[in-house]
Amino acid sequence: MTPDIVETVNVAREIAWLPWAVQYFFLIGLSYGAWLVSLPGLVFRRPGWEGISRLALLAALVCGLTAPVALLADLHQPGRFWHFYAYFTPTSWMSWGAFFIPVYLTGLILYAWLAFRPALARHAEEGGKLAGLARRLAYGGHESRKALVAAALLTFVGAALVALYTGVEVMLVRARPLWHTPLLPVQFFVTAVAGGLGLALVFNRALPGGGDPAATRRMAIGLALTQLVALLVGVVWLALGMSGMSPEHAQALAQVAPSANWKVSAVWAVLATVATLALAVWRPGSGLLIGLLALHSAWMMRWTIFIGGQEVPKTGAGYYSYQLPLGPEGLMGIVGTAGLWIFLFVVLTTLLPLDRIGQAQPARG
Amino acid sequence: MKDQEPREVSASRRAFLRGIPVLTAAAAALPAPALAAHGKHHWAMLVDVRKCIGCQACTVACIQENAVPEGSFRTIVSTYSVKLADGDQPAGTYMLPRLCNHCDEPPCIPVCPVGATFKREDGIVAVDGDRCVGCAYCVQACPYDARFINHATNKADKCTFCAHRVDAGLLPACVETCVGGARIFGDLNDSQGELRRRLDAAKAEVKVLKPEQGTEPRVFYIGLDERFQGKVEGQGTLWQPRKAHG
Repeated sequence: MTPDIVETVNVAREIAWLPWAVQYFFLIGLSYGAWLVSLPGLVFRRPGWEGISRLALLAALVCGLTAPVALLADLHQPGRFWHFYAYFTPTSWMSWGAFFIPVYLTGLILYAWLAFRPALARHAEEGGKLAGLARRLAYGGHESRKALVAAALLTFVGAALVALYTGVEVMLVRARPLWHTPLLPVQFFVTAVAGGLGLALVFNRALPGGGDPAATRRMAIGLALTQLVALLVGVVWLALGMSGMSPEHAQALAQVAPSANWKVSAVWAVLATVATLALAVWRPGSGLLIGLLALHSAWMMRWTIFIGGQEVPKTGAGYYSYQLPLGPEGLMGIVGTAGLWIFLFVVLTTLLPLDRIGQAQPARG
Repeated sequence: MKDQEPREVSASRRAFLRGIPVLTAAAAALPAPALAAHGKHHWAMLVDVRKCIGCQACTVACIQENAVPEGSFRTIVSTYSVKLADGDQPAGTYMLPRLCNHCDEPPCIPVCPVGATFKREDGIVAVDGDRCVGCAYCVQACPYDARFINHATNKADKCTFCAHRVDAGLLPACVETCVGGARIFGDLNDSQGELRRRLDAAKAEVKVLKPEQGTEPRVFYIGLDERFQGKVEGQGTLWQPRKAHG
């Protein structure tokens, strides 16, 4: 059927938040999500959690150190990043974010150092790779419980602020109905925690012997809960949109409902979540698979929201069509971020091998 | 004929003639807010859609005047083929000139993390290119798709109402070149000015784009079909200049 209106001349605005932004929101989410998983073993000393919590902390650290680079690269004037600090603008959540990120990262690095000091000292004592550097970093290798808890508190404040600002910053964009939904920060948070659990599960699987089965099962339960919450939030989102109870959700739904691409994305997201939930419940030992599925869902959700969201014109008809460029503004941005992530992972696990991190270790004086 | 020229432009022209020696200095200082310190004017535009012939002369003039890179546009005349139910022909053409709306409640300003985008006292929403970090948050926040990242400067870009020309007592390039006289630029504060007179005369017919956004646009339209007031429902254009731009 021929539509009543056909646009013959108009401008197609290109994507302004590039795949770098997707990588940032993905990695910073994984980081604070994984950091939360580090708490039961390291701060609350829950039996059986120590190894997996250490692995989660490694995940938080690698992702947390990579994320700001992706954010910086998304700026079209990265050399001017210092303007964020020179021209603080309290009305902008992005401006606040520039201060929240260092709070989180300072806390995270301090917390990780305090948590890994004894293991670093042991690594040095046993003549592991880069033993000299490990010895210097261990700085005596003492375990300082009070300092660890204090660092955890600082990290918690930073993580909460980062989780808040990354959600609200996008939610406030009224010009994009798909982003301007009150549930968006919740969706970001839930998928971030799921992704953090997923990455810890993948690390756990990489341990000799496939990791601690009891820890895998515990993590699977946690992951199942996040998937359940994600599905519930999705149902509420849809119900608010379809019933018209929330004009924001109704408008968001109306914008994407006619698109075949969006329908495929929605079905894909639901199937992936249901599959992860089902596997986590009935096959809790399939740690690697559910871990990868959770990571995939966390990334897909952000890609769909950011890139898909920018494909919806604000005034023009239809949809813009986005094709991933192969250069730094597209594929190379994704590959480059992944490369940095792998580099940091290699450096950190050379200094402190994965199996040493994953072991439950006795406290040192 | 000179008497029929809009008053606000004549006044500005006198100021221009008086201030020729400082003109280059003023242009260099753009877009410092101090330029608009007087707050005497409140610049706005009225687009009479009925007079637009869709020639895109405004589009080209804007690109020429502001060195807009290939594939990007500060203004464009969106053109639509609209099915006619009761006409002699199966379809008619609808033209809608678009540009930054220089809103009185601009959503692009509070989101800017470094205060690079601001509203001058004369109502013009501008970007301080020396401060902009190119984060594109303003691009996202604009409900009119009026902003973009300029690939030549890597900064946020948009229509400035040709502030450099206005400050020199000239009309924006798009207004000056408009073949059909569809674009009327002037001072809302000038009760005798052409813009105010036209707005007052057409009161009931005057509309703005996306009024529900509460942005208080300062680009007004006469002859704006409701179907084009927000996001247009229809078949999107297949022509994408970005493809040519790379």
